[in-house]
Amino acid sequence: MSPFLRRTRAMALKEFRHMARDPQVVLLALAMPLVLILVFGYGVSFDVEHVPLAVVDQDRTAESRAFARAFSAAGTFDVVATPDDPRAVEPLFRQSLARAALIIPEGFTRARARGEAATAQMLVDGSDNATATIALGYGDAIGLTLAQAELPRGLSAPLEARVRTMFNPSLRSAVFIVPGLIVLVLVIVSVMLTALTVAREYEQGSMEQLFSTPVGRLEIILGKLAPYFLLGLVQVLLVLVVGVTLFDVPLRGSVGLIFLAASIFLLGELTYGLVISIITRSQMVAAQIAAISTFLPALILSDFIFPIDNMPPPLRFVSSLLPPRYLVHALRSIMLRGNGLETIVSDLLPMAGFFAVMLLIATRRFRRTVA
Amino acid sequence: MTGAAHAPALEARGLRRRLGITDAVAGLDLTVRPGELYGLVGPDGAGKTTALRLLVGLLVPDAGEARVDGVSVMSGGPALREALGYMPQQFSLYGDLSVAENMRFFADLFGLAPAIFRQREAELMQLTRLDRFRDRRASALSGGMYKKLALSCALLHRPRVLVLDEPTNGVDPVSRRELWDLLYQLVDEGLAVLLATPYMDEAARCHRVGLMYAGKLLAEDTPAALVKGFDDVTWLVHLSDAADPGARDAAEARLRERPEVRALSPQGGGLRVVVDRAGDAEFRRYFAAADAHWRLSPVAPDFEDVFLRLVTHAS
Amino acid sequence: MRAEANPNVIEVEGLTRLFGDFRAVDDVNFQVRRGEIFGYLGANGAGKSTTIRMLCGLLAPTGGRATVAGADIAREPQRVKERIGYMSQKFSLYMDLSVVENLNFFASAYGLAGAERRARIGDALAQADLEGKGDLVTRDLAGGVRQRLALASALLHRPPIIFLDEPTAGVDPVARRGFWRVIRELSRAGTTIFVTTHHLDEAELCHRVGLMVDGKLVALDTPEGLKRTHVPGTMMSVGGQGEGRARNIAAAVTGAPGVLAVQPFGLRVHVRVDDRLAAPAAFGAFLASRGLPADDVEVVEPGLEDVFLALVQR
Repeated sequence: MSPFLRRTRAMALKEFRHMARDPQVVLLALAMPLVLILVFGYGVSFDVEHVPLAVVDQDRTAESRAFARAFSAAGTFDVVATPDDPRAVEPLFRQSLARAALIIPEGFTRARARGEAATAQMLVDGSDNATATIALGYGDAIGLTLAQAELPRGLSAPLEARVRTMFNPSLRSAVFIVPGLIVLVLVIVSVMLTALTVAREYEQGSMEQLFSTPVGRLEIILGKLAPYFLLGLVQVLLVLVVGVTLFDVPLRGSVGLIFLAASIFLLGELTYGLVISIITRSQMVAAQIAAISTFLPALILSDFIFPIDNMPPPLRFVSSLLPPRYLVHALRSIMLRGNGLETIVSDLLPMAGFFAVMLLIATRRFRRTVA
Repeated sequence: MTGAAHAPALEARGLRRRLGITDAVAGLDLTVRPGELYGLVGPDGAGKTTALRLLVGLLVPDAGEARVDGVSVMSGGPALREALGYMPQQFSLYGDLSVAENMRFFADLFGLAPAIFRQREAELMQLTRLDRFRDRRASALSGGMYKKLALSCALLHRPRVLVLDEPTNGVDPVSRRELWDLLYQLVDEGLAVLLATPYMDEAARCHRVGLMYAGKLLAEDTPAALVKGFDDVTWLVHLSDAADPGARDAAEARLRERPEVRALSPQGGGLRVVVDRAGDAEFRRYFAAADAHWRLSPVAPDFEDVFLRLVTHAS
Repeated sequence: MRAEANPNVIEVEGLTRLFGDFRAVDDVNFQVRRGEIFGYLGANGAGKSTTIRMLCGLLAPTGGRATVAGADIAREPQRVKERIGYMSQKFSLYMDLSVVENLNFFASAYGLAGAERRARIGDALAQADLEGKGDLVTRDLAGGVRQRLALASALLHRPPIIFLDEPTAGVDPVARRGFWRVIRELSRAGTTIFVTTHHLDEAELCHRVGLMVDGKLVALDTPEGLKRTHVPGTMMSVGGQGEGRARNIAAAVTGAPGVLAVQPFGLRVHVRVDDRLAAPAAFGAFLASRGLPADDVEVVEPGLEDVFLALVQR
């Protein structure tokens, strides 16, 4: 075996031992995905139900009443008020009595009868952004279904609504959550652990001893990555198993591909953790930087909860520099659509690029000196 | 006495390093030959640790150069690391790994073949009497045991130069003497040893000593030669009522007032007094008249006297 | 009032502490007088720290009894704690606070306030030789000064006894001298000092020294008394003349009649001999008979280290 491999293996073996001697860490790393998927799966439902709806029916025809009924029938909306004047909607929103309003203008039925585009207005309380987005989508879908059922062919609806209903027909959020959750779990635990590991060697003084041996910087880095890399893959497996068994998350594509994408992501993020550790040399500072700088992008800039398409251009640009959105996209593509390697290459390449840049920074900034 | 045998194993030439606003090492030259035990002695903050770190290449010097077997420590690769064994002052092994695991880890980093590792591990374990503690975690070792383990880890790869930063700090007297016996044995086998210590009695055990203060060497020689060059006179004052601490304190207070008395410390039942050579006659006259119960006998100056004198002089 | 009359401020009788089957402290007896500097020595793990922790009321004894400043350590540990000062090797100071700020904090922890607190802090600064250093930030202090600050914080509540657990570990000789000057000043003023140390030159400064081996107190006497009893004979320092020679000398004299102990010491060897070889002429002849030059021989004083080794390795 080459000296390089021997020393890397010795580093990795040592890191495994540290991990084994600290079972609480391993326990945390494995419990975290379970807790998160249960919380997100059961507790934090993105499925919007019983949204209080005000209906302003200015048309007052049998058809307009049927249209309004269609909204309340699905269970998504509960009609809580039927004011005559659209101006009454705003006070209802302000007092949180209603979160959405359907306004059917006068002439709605006549327009439909003439085959013209009949416009009903949907107002949503934008202060609760997540609910608003989803409620809008639902309203869209319901209206669309109604329109398709009753309108002559040839009048097509927006493609966006069509796509959603196709891949997630029941509009269940668990299906969307699992890919995002994988990203979240990986950054919360693994990056945090690697961010601590180099700083710990500085703080406890062992770095001084380590640097007095022939071990190289790349050997230290790779050796330190190994155990956390494996731990991350186990986490991915856990989330997948729970997602599929408990929440019927579809696995349409290749499991191997899922792990390939997750591996590339992990390498980049773990090396980023090492970079933090190498630069700060302090466990406390490293932990804080790791938590903020990985958790927030994974939550906000990953398309997990907040659609990237709705973001202002600067944020969209930032998200394009960070790996989370690529993994979320790749996983959705593989799991929900069953896409193959050729379609996710465009996601894998940026993640691999991130890994390369981090590895370069890590080896460059890692000096064989103690001050 | 061939030239090759006395070529320096470790060499510092004009080493300088600033840390923050202080010149931690301000121009250091020293050499350690194979088979020599060199002690770098100095108070806290004298720059000993910085000097050792510069010598093993853990710090980049602002000026000057450190060489091991003639190779610069900053440019040397793995071969240089293999020639060097280093033991830092603070705890620097892995507390959650066992004695055996720590040794195995460092053996792997130095690329020892398994058979060779087993043989050297057995030798070192026997030498240090650590075998009973093979499976104990390093964090659970006593101070002396820990230092022996750290020394073993630094010796596994058979370095030609061993650099030790305060190896006996926090170690009890028995373990301390065992460590010294071990060092003498290694030096006899031709190892070059450089150690930093704040303890004067340890400095006296070295072959050669450099007295470090404010980043520089104040003096460098064998302990015997340094003591021989000591210019003041050392006396032991015997007190007849030695068992009574009150009497000793009273005597101390009186002697301390004498202008020619440079230093004063209790020793045994009496007082050890360092007297300025110019004032020695005066001191003896005073003493003869002072107290009938006191008796004066000459004692040899020791290393601590030399050190305190030089430091007082320098500061 | 009774405590005033009793010259002993610490009385220990049959003190024993078991950890499972392990006798960490085994039937220990001693007394410490008021104002005495009492040194407590022993190898790592010999039971020093366990003894100190019991005497400070931090650990209950398994057997025996002890009183500290008149309070029973088993029945009144809280009163013990109020009457002692304790400074451990890993003393806790706030590095980002100044000397006075640190002392203010510890003083308020003892419930001191106002003029009383200022007075006590002033006294502690004077006792620990820290006057003029009050505004310095602890981080910037040299190791020895920090040590004296830790001592000052243990003196704030004016305890009659202070326990010092390896107070000078890792401190250089200049600073150690300063520290011991403070200790001896405290002792002169009537404070009793109970101190553990690995430095036998410090043990020489104690009035009496107790030595623990494997949980037992095996010796207790003045430093002089210990040396007389346990390292009899005369110590000769023989020059080694060149590297490696010391070991040859040691090998040549070890085990010879009249030789009690042999110890390499740098380029020299320390040889302790009995009366047969104590005279310079006799020792010179002895060296010559072993084929060794006798031109570089000095008589040296045995130290407490020799006592320590004689007792521990017995």
